Amino acid sequence: MIHLLRYLIRKVVFALAALVFFVSVIFALPRLIPGNPVGVLVSKLALQGQTDPERIQAVYRDFMDEFGIGLPLWEQFTGFVTQLLRGDLGTSISMYPRKVTEILAIYLPWTVALLLPAILVSWVLGNYLGALVAWRRGTLLDKLVTPILLTVSRIPFYWFAMLMLFAFAVYLRLFPIGGTYSWGLTPSLTWDFVGNYLRHYTLPFLTWVVICLGGWAVGMRSMMIYELGSDYVLSADTLGLPQRKLLRYAFRSACLPQVTELGLNFGFMLSGSLLLELVFNYRGMGSITFQALSALDYPLIQGIFIVLAAAVILANLAVDFIYGLIDPRIRTGHLRR
Amino acid sequence: MNALLVAEDVKASYSSPRGFIRAVDGVSMDINYGDVLGIAGESGCGKSTLSNVLMMNIRPPLSFLGGKVLLDGKQDLAAMGREKVKAQMWGRVIALVPQSALNALVPTRKVGAFIKDVLRYHLKLSARETMDLAERRFRELGLPVEALTKYPHQLSGGMRQRVVISVVTLLNPKLLIVDEPTSALDVSTQKQVLKMLLHLRAKHIVRAIVFIAHDIAILRQIATRIAIMYAGKVVEVGPMERVFQGPLHPYAYSLIHSVLTPEPEVRERGLSYIAGEPPALVHPPEGCRFHPRCPRSLPICSREEPPLIGLGEDRFVACHLVLGRH
Amino acid sequence: MGNARLVVSAALFLAVVLFGLAGRWAYPVDPVSRVGGKLQTPSWEHPLGTDVQGRDVLAQLIHGTGTSLSIGITASVIAVAIAIVVGVISGYRGGLMDDSLMASANVVLAFPVILLLLVVAVFVPVRSPMVVALLIGFTSWPGLARAIRSQIMSLKEREFVFLSRMTGCGGVRIAFVDLLPNMMTYVFTSSVVIMSAAMLAEAGLSMIGVGVTKGTSLGTMLFWAQLSDAVRRGFFWWFIPPGGVLTVACASLLLLATALDQLFNPRLKER
Repeated sequence: MIHLLRYLIRKVVFALAALVFFVSVIFALPRLIPGNPVGVLVSKLALQGQTDPERIQAVYRDFMDEFGIGLPLWEQFTGFVTQLLRGDLGTSISMYPRKVTEILAIYLPWTVALLLPAILVSWVLGNYLGALVAWRRGTLLDKLVTPILLTVSRIPFYWFAMLMLFAFAVYLRLFPIGGTYSWGLTPSLTWDFVGNYLRHYTLPFLTWVVICLGGWAVGMRSMMIYELGSDYVLSADTLGLPQRKLLRYAFRSACLPQVTELGLNFGFMLSGSLLLELVFNYRGMGSITFQALSALDYPLIQGIFIVLAAAVILANLAVDFIYGLIDPRIRTGHLRR
Repeated sequence: MNALLVAEDVKASYSSPRGFIRAVDGVSMDINYGDVLGIAGESGCGKSTLSNVLMMNIRPPLSFLGGKVLLDGKQDLAAMGREKVKAQMWGRVIALVPQSALNALVPTRKVGAFIKDVLRYHLKLSARETMDLAERRFRELGLPVEALTKYPHQLSGGMRQRVVISVVTLLNPKLLIVDEPTSALDVSTQKQVLKMLLHLRAKHIVRAIVFIAHDIAILRQIATRIAIMYAGKVVEVGPMERVFQGPLHPYAYSLIHSVLTPEPEVRERGLSYIAGEPPALVHPPEGCRFHPRCPRSLPICSREEPPLIGLGEDRFVACHLVLGRH
Repeated sequence: MGNARLVVSAALFLAVVLFGLAGRWAYPVDPVSRVGGKLQTPSWEHPLGTDVQGRDVLAQLIHGTGTSLSIGITASVIAVAIAIVVGVISGYRGGLMDDSLMASANVVLAFPVILLLLVVAVFVPVRSPMVVALLIGFTSWPGLARAIRSQIMSLKEREFVFLSRMTGCGGVRIAFVDLLPNMMTYVFTSSVVIMSAAMLAEAGLSMIGVGVTKGTSLGTMLFWAQLSDAVRRGFFWWFIPPGGVLTVACASLLLLATALDQLFNPRLKER
């Protein structure tokens, strides 16, 4: 038990260190450019068409305050950190005076609703498929499925999403052509809304699952083939244990690296989902990122950065935690990860 | 002396990109109740393959080419085929401790849990009953009962080896085959393993042991009979001490004389080594397989293969020189 | 059998390269100026139609492929160079240097490039392909660095004593001169894989607006297509070709990598 605790504490410490690192980076970046950063950022506002001089003045003053320009650097940093700890991510420039936290709170849940189930479903299904194909290695199933999986995993996922949208929504008209829910509806816990949402949800969800599934399946297949050839499987076989028992043992061992992969890949999947949301016009973090970039709204971008970085760190921590529970070597202190 | 397992002219080969490797090429062997039969020979002589063939653990690229493996003089395992032999015999009648026993336990399961899996599959006992059985057997064999609650990686190498042996013999198989069980261990652990094997036989937990090794010194400590293999064939069989003191086949002679043992006669004899290398088993030499390296080869050796002939008193040799003399 | 794979993948990739680099002579149309009506479907005059601003899609495709390819190669070269330096020093020196290098590698590995580029995007709004190549290169080295490091570490155990007795010269220099050449085949195969990953990354990043903003790449084509709702409005001639070329390029590169791997490490057939 104590080994597990030691392991977890180490992981938490590393996570916090990473968080501190990223907060420092995002703090330092605007202050590195020569001149007054607020001036630069506000001037972008003018570029976006905002021309009312009084408005710009007000924005400028507010941001000078928020950024703490003029105060010593140390005070700026503590101010920045206190702000963060209060949950305040600043004020948006392009949607002034709305707060960044308020804006992101609208979009973040939709992304989570799409991403999390998709990741879980594709991971579970992919691993089972990979194990199945590994067991039936060399048979028709393997020879048919594996090349298909490999091919799908080679297609750029954003392009694949476009093809899916075009084929199923535009051409075949089986699904609504993007969006999170139909225009004019407001989110509510009614059957009508949920049903409508699910209709819009299905295509991006399926696309995501298909894309990720292939990767997991191929990886699992290799791991299973490796495990099935290992000494303990051969000796369990010699003891007369049946094939399904051997498969269970191999599967259990092969899952461990797949869990680690989940953590490593989370960052990639998160950024991928941004792109996917864009293609399907699904109003999650993806679309607000796109908007923020077009408007060069630094506080909003900074907020997105912090939220995404925190999400990746948190996800990795969760995966480390789960891994610590399932790998017996960690529980007994025999492996330093 | 009853025969527990008899192999008659057994042949098996591996398919490889270079051709067929005739790893076991016409081997006949008796394993009797009460035996500890040592099988000795250099790497690649076919001993491990033979151990797999004896229990019909045949899977591609290995293929069984012919011969019989008679159990108790009645059932021919070769005719039954792998699946039937696995279902009926493995673990219950014949058991194998493989060469890589150190990694033979499932890493994600505690030792006790794995034993439970094995026992419940074969005997349909309850969880409590399997634990009792396991604990009793461990105590009997001098193993700490706490080992049952540990994961394999928590046990030392020697302990793991002994645990594997006890797991493999849980169902009291008549024949236990051990393949190089002591090669990776230090001397004191080796002694423990050998003691355990003899104990298993003494208590009739197993009735006979086939002990595969390349180290004659180890075999001398445990084997009652010894069979020496070369290039896929058996060249000499006989009681351990008699063969050791007076090997007849030139290869057996060289092999035994390359061993250092702390006995005065050995000091006088001196050490010898065998020049050359074993032949590639894809194209074995014509006639006697040892003849290219044999210091006493005759013209007939390069033409005709010497058959394995009994000389009485449980002595068998496959050598023209020896047969000519007798 | 392996040879067929090698030939086919190399041929496919070469075809893409030819298309991207030499295509502009065979089809000398300017990709950035308006040459026809807006959003025209494919025709003899414009084989892949025109986009929302009346620009020829085929011309864009040709130039875009060239740009994406050069980004891929540049990023790959940068990533491999960094990976070699980090991997060799980390593996050979060990100790604190190793720990800190590997810690930073882990950070770079787990973190999506997009976050870095999000922030860069605000301060450097005009980004040429080379800038993007640089950034991608700077974030693609950890995987290869780790592999090089572990190879160096195991080689070091074996050869170290011998080498240090033979020469009196600096350890790191030994590492580069003696140990590294053994791994060149692996490094080369990895660089091919990194190149395909870089091309895919560029396209995705450009599509969301964080990548290339100056010039035409396969990614920028997708960006403009997405901005103009090309999928929903059914302008298939605009969004299908860039993705298609990208798929062919990357798939052939990856196939090439596995073929090279088999070439350099011939193995017996698996059971």
